[in-house]
Amino acid sequence: MPEKNTIGAAGLFGILILAAVLLAVPHLVSFSQQELLVFLTINVLLVVSYRLLTLTGEWSLAHVVMMGVGSYGSALYAKNFGFPVPIAMLAGAATAGLIAALLSFPLFRMKGFYFLIGSFAAGEVIRLIWKRFTDPFGGPKGIKRIPGFPEVDLGFIQIDFYQPENYYYLVLAVVLVSLWVLYRIERSRLGLTFHAIHWQDKLSESVGIDTFRHRMLAFVIASFFAGLAGALYAHYLSTVNPNQFDVDTMVYVLIWTIVGGTTRWYGPILGVIALTIIDEVILRAIGADQIRPLLYGAILIAAILFLPNGLESLVIKAKDALRRREGVAVEKVAVRKGAG
Amino acid sequence: MKSASNISLNRRMLLAGAASTALLPVVGLPRVSFAQEDVVKIGFLAPLTGPVAAWGKPGLDGCKIWADWANEAGGIEIDGKPHRIELASYDDEDDAGKARAGATQLIRENDVKFIMMLGGNSWPGVEEIAARQGMLFSTLLPSDLTPDTETLIAPCEVHPIYNVTGVDWLAANRPELKTAVICAQDDALGKPSVATYLAAFEAAGIEMASPPLFFDPATTDFAPVMTQLLAKNPDILCLDTCYADYVQPLCEQAFQQGYKGQIISCTLDFYQRIVERTSKEFMEGVIFQFPDFDDKALNDPRINFKKPNEFYAEYIKRYGATEWSAVSWEYASIMDLWADAAQRAGSVEPEDVLAAMKDGGKGKHAFGEARWWGKDLFGLDNALVGDWPVVVIRDGKATIAEFRSIPDWWDKNSELLVKHMKELGQMWDQRI
Repeated sequence: MPEKNTIGAAGLFGILILAAVLLAVPHLVSFSQQELLVFLTINVLLVVSYRLLTLTGEWSLAHVVMMGVGSYGSALYAKNFGFPVPIAMLAGAATAGLIAALLSFPLFRMKGFYFLIGSFAAGEVIRLIWKRFTDPFGGPKGIKRIPGFPEVDLGFIQIDFYQPENYYYLVLAVVLVSLWVLYRIERSRLGLTFHAIHWQDKLSESVGIDTFRHRMLAFVIASFFAGLAGALYAHYLSTVNPNQFDVDTMVYVLIWTIVGGTTRWYGPILGVIALTIIDEVILRAIGADQIRPLLYGAILIAAILFLPNGLESLVIKAKDALRRREGVAVEKVAVRKGAG
Repeated sequence: MKSASNISLNRRMLLAGAASTALLPVVGLPRVSFAQEDVVKIGFLAPLTGPVAAWGKPGLDGCKIWADWANEAGGIEIDGKPHRIELASYDDEDDAGKARAGATQLIRENDVKFIMMLGGNSWPGVEEIAARQGMLFSTLLPSDLTPDTETLIAPCEVHPIYNVTGVDWLAANRPELKTAVICAQDDALGKPSVATYLAAFEAAGIEMASPPLFFDPATTDFAPVMTQLLAKNPDILCLDTCYADYVQPLCEQAFQQGYKGQIISCTLDFYQRIVERTSKEFMEGVIFQFPDFDDKALNDPRINFKKPNEFYAEYIKRYGATEWSAVSWEYASIMDLWADAAQRAGSVEPEDVLAAMKDGGKGKHAFGEARWWGKDLFGLDNALVGDWPVVVIRDGKATIAEFRSIPDWWDKNSELLVKHMKELGQMWDQRI
């Protein structure tokens, strides 16, 4: 059965509630949690863009490095070439897309496990280039003192984007627009083609679909948005270094995506939000700083054992239960009317 | 009527009670408020988990002992009043983003007056906060210092400059050693340290048998690294400032590949484990820079660290003998310096304490009187530098061989150090 494309009254109400929560949340949390909120929102874009690539059936280990390409690119455009920061951010994201396009030629000669390993190797090559070439990449220390997003002075109000609550709203706007674009891509003919390539690549080729070009396109789009996430990150933190984009960080992206689930667009978002709250808020709040990796690991194992289809399966089950209840209610009304 | 009167009285009592409760914060809590004023919170922002935890967690453990002792003695007397010390810690995982969130929490939520950091990867995330808030920070890595980091001090460990004392001592005591090789992880900690060792070797007339070998921090197999290092049969094997996770396998590989020469390293964390995995004979004479604090040489009157032997005994009692590391005492010694400055300033406010610390250009470093220095190398004099111990493994135990002066070496060889720092892009103006 095709999914509905229209939003009902309940859906609209849900969206309004969500919008109110997203707008209010910086004022409901502590100062340090506002900082975490900025990083969490950036990570939402990172995992959702990663999911777009997985639609074609390929799992990359270079996605965080693509985020890094966006970070480094944006930082260099702004710091060395004097680009205005918003332009530098877009240019950094475009650079990530361009690098992805170039990498596609060797990488998409491989599939499955070989693509995974190939993408890891490609990512490491890029990371080592950042380390090796102190000029312009800063070597192991990376680039520091990256210009921040410029202050906005409207006369009656000044917005300093170094403040986390202000930057959160900027990031939120960028991420929401990006998510909408990614959502539309998935629901378009192009997205359906990505799905088709995932499940039946030979059949897709037999009906004239160019699987290479579509895989490449998914990789480029995913990398562009990962690069945008990286640019948002770099101009907030004022620093980037190669270690921030290493395989450990990539493992976190994989964990967020897997624990959240990948069959629905919101799956990875659930994963990154739930695990970040557990790791950064709850475990720190109970004073378990030093045993966080241990507890985090235990939670992961439990999630994989008891929720093999990810956190999104809970939402699907809840929706199904709601529909069944609505169905039963409709049936009861019909029976009453019939009896009447 | 009687009952109405009762109700009226009750209502009055209720109102009076409510009013009293409302006024409690204003008039009824002077003692609580007084007690709160007498607590000083100190922040600890360093890696407590992850690969660099060995340079964070043991330091926090040491600080807990320091704080317990200070509080048992009645607290720190500031402006005539005793102040209890409370530690507030945050695990920054050696990550700039986590450090930014941690600094925000410590400053704006925990209201700390001073923050101790390991520094390095995490510092750039905090730099702007430090400048905006005027918060006093300390780092163990003076390579974080630039002319703009006015509220950042390196009051204990002037890494990696003190490494010159080990090479200087080696050259004086074993002049027959003429060639050396060096390896380090390719990161912000390894490179300035390599530059320092290269300068120290050159000053001592020791030639490099091969160029420095930088390995990736993700390296897990150190056999090929060691094979490459030993290929030129060097007299001295220098392990630079490798992380504890690298020093141990490197030493094991050197042992397994039959190396018989001299080993020198900046740190040798958890060295007992290395002795167990190699042999006492193999480790005999290994030079590094971080003493065990049960060393009797630390009872010398010039040492400013309070009760070093008792501190070590307490540390071992609480956490175990194998948990002692290079940083176990360092953050505690920074707290000594901070407490001394706060007492002299009569204030715990960051700018007052910093001014008192730097008053007269000299300070009480853990290993004796020292001077605030660093303009030529870091762009400002915010590093406290003086004598530093040369530690040698003797019969499986770390022993202080001698204290050597870093400023004396610098006065003679500053050009060499600047040259090598420049070549590896480690001068402050090359790092920003």
